[in-house]
Amino acid sequence: MNDKYITVTQLTRYIKYKIDNDVNLNEVFLKGEISNFKAHSRGHYYFTIKDESSRINAIMFASATKKVKFIPQDGMKVLVTGKISVFEANGGYQIYVNDMLEDGVGNLYIAYEQLKKRLETEGLFRQELKKKIKKIPTRVGVVTAPTGAAIKDIVSTIKRRWPLVEIYLFPSLVQGENAKDDIAKQIEIANSFDLDTLIVGRGGGSIEDLWAFNEEIVARAIFNSNIPVISAVGHEVDFTIADFVADLRAPTPTGAAELAVPQISDVANYLNQLKIRLSKTIQHKLKIEKQKLIEITDRYIFKNPINIYQIKEQQFTSLIDRLKYSSISLINAKEKKLLTIKNSYVITKPFSMVDNKSNKYLQLISKLETLSPLQTIKRGYSIAKRDGKVISSVKDVKTKDKLDLSLMDGEIKVEVL
Amino acid sequence: MAEKKELSFEESLLKLEEIVKKLESGEVPLDDAIKEFNEAMVLAKNCDQKLKNAEEAITKIVNSDGSIEDFKIEE
Repeated sequence: MNDKYITVTQLTRYIKYKIDNDVNLNEVFLKGEISNFKAHSRGHYYFTIKDESSRINAIMFASATKKVKFIPQDGMKVLVTGKISVFEANGGYQIYVNDMLEDGVGNLYIAYEQLKKRLETEGLFRQELKKKIKKIPTRVGVVTAPTGAAIKDIVSTIKRRWPLVEIYLFPSLVQGENAKDDIAKQIEIANSFDLDTLIVGRGGGSIEDLWAFNEEIVARAIFNSNIPVISAVGHEVDFTIADFVADLRAPTPTGAAELAVPQISDVANYLNQLKIRLSKTIQHKLKIEKQKLIEITDRYIFKNPINIYQIKEQQFTSLIDRLKYSSISLINAKEKKLLTIKNSYVITKPFSMVDNKSNKYLQLISKLETLSPLQTIKRGYSIAKRDGKVISSVKDVKTKDKLDLSLMDGEIKVEVL
Repeated sequence: MAEKKELSFEESLLKLEEIVKKLESGEVPLDDAIKEFNEAMVLAKNCDQKLKNAEEAITKIVNSDGSIEDFKIEE
């Protein structure tokens, strides 16, 4: 019997489960008046939203309260978005608010949401319809106020980054009742110029200040622009319809200028890289072609002539060798002859011949000596001479002839008796 | 292919880029490659020249009557 009863926790969890899974309660747009407002030191807001006959507890966590652009107070009329859930500890349902706007402004917000939904359905935000922004434009158009921070930021940023560009300003109202028509008209006029990129925007301001950029006529002018559009409305946190339609959204006017033109040093670096790649690739090409040429010349026809040449070379070499050899042998022969001559007796011992002769001479002398009359004389003979003539017969002399007798050691004068 | 007007910086750079990529593919015959190389060198030189000679960006304002004037930022 006890099985029928469930615990409070079980019930609360069941209710929480039901509420959490209700699509309608997951995103609620709620308007009402703030009461019992408390700002927690940790940044959360606790308050009640009420109207004449009902109330609901509301909690807004610090992560969401950061985005709130006003200070909430009791009695303030607000528009909130959030989800309904159950806080189990007290069993109360409440709204967890993630966005809160002041009512009045809230009407604008509703208009914004409606227009956004309509244009999105129509396809104006489609990613595939976005035009590409030129990286290096020649002419950039700017639709914004001719005075104020936005144009100043845009021009100075472009000049600093990329001085090779021409900037065309299409001055426009950017806030007030007539701003939307003016902006749309200037976008149209800009399209009659030969521009690469068009920046449309303004500096920061309140949501009312920026409102022109949430108008349909501006959205359509941007969508119809043949020139790629960079939107640059307000600050980083501001999202306008123009931002959704534009081909590129910049967080600020300065940001738009940065997206519109390149940094000159980057371009110079890239240009240098291209030059390096260019010379590398042509060098590579030449190397390959050279290699090909070598491969061809190494092949068939070209190889034979080298062989022929080598044969000729060999023949030539052997001829040279023979020539060398024969001349050497000729020289050798001559040298040999020369050597024989050099080694000949006469040359090597020139005096031996003289010695021979002198021996012969001595022999002759001794022979001569044996034959010499002087020897005979030495043995006691003498030679008789008359008037120097040797007398060898008695018939040669007469009495009284005076003769000379040669003896071994002198002469004697004698008379024949 | 007569050039009607001087190439813009971007056009020159794109063309240069295209030639480099083409040559890097290695499919261009040598004679053509040398021709392309020479053209690329001219393009690179032009780009260099433009970067070097870059002065201040010209800023014009297009008035409501259609007249175009130099635009000066009011300090």
